[in-house]
Amino acid sequence: MKVELIYAAGCAECMTARAGLRCAAEAVVAGVEWAEVDVLDALDYAVELGVLTLPALAIDGSLVFAALPTPEQLRDELLKRAGHD
Amino acid sequence: MLTIGKLAAAGEISPDALRYYESEGLLVPTTRTASGYRLYGEDALRRVRFIQHAQACGFTLAEIRELLQLRQTDKACCNDVRQRAIEKRLQLAAKIRGMQSMSAALDRLIAECADGSQSVEDCPIMAALEQIDGGMEPAR
Repeated sequence: MKVELIYAAGCAECMTARAGLRCAAEAVVAGVEWAEVDVLDALDYAVELGVLTLPALAIDGSLVFAALPTPEQLRDELLKRAGHD
Repeated sequence: MLTIGKLAAAGEISPDALRYYESEGLLVPTTRTASGYRLYGEDALRRVRFIQHAQACGFTLAEIRELLQLRQTDKACCNDVRQRAIEKRLQLAAKIRGMQSMSAALDRLIAECADGSQSVEDCPIMAALEQIDGGMEPAR
């Protein structure tokens, strides 16, 4: 499973939240692939995903959170996708 | 001090638009005359130009109000403005994609309607638009 944080450089909210989100993802899914995507390096990809506001979170190539979730929300979503709910 | 007419002329904008900016909380007269006429300070023209430039970049009046409010927010920095600009860029790119998709759909319809002498009833474009099950890709 791949989790992508799409952010704009200098985003204080992203920097604050990313460690907690990454920990939550890694705790739930063994071997989860965590990626941080600077939106300006991948603008077309972000548009393809449907990202309109930043930061956002995609899972397996789909925009799942248009605004950053809490670690608990991310954990629940990953559990659901892994079929453990 | 500038009257609304003078500010409108200097900003190449209508007095009605200035009143609308005021109703949207974007531009407040510095004072009013005894008769109630609006008077604007020297910074008003700068504010009008700011609004016009931001509109030209696609920002809505509500978004422009937020940009202006950032100036009065101690914690805000240039990155906050930059993030809004990037988000606007994303929104514009999404709109462009949607319009390209519409344009491609129209191209397909136009190509289907090679014989323009048919009756409107038999027009393939009208028939395609009428299809219940689509047959046309929705614009994203």
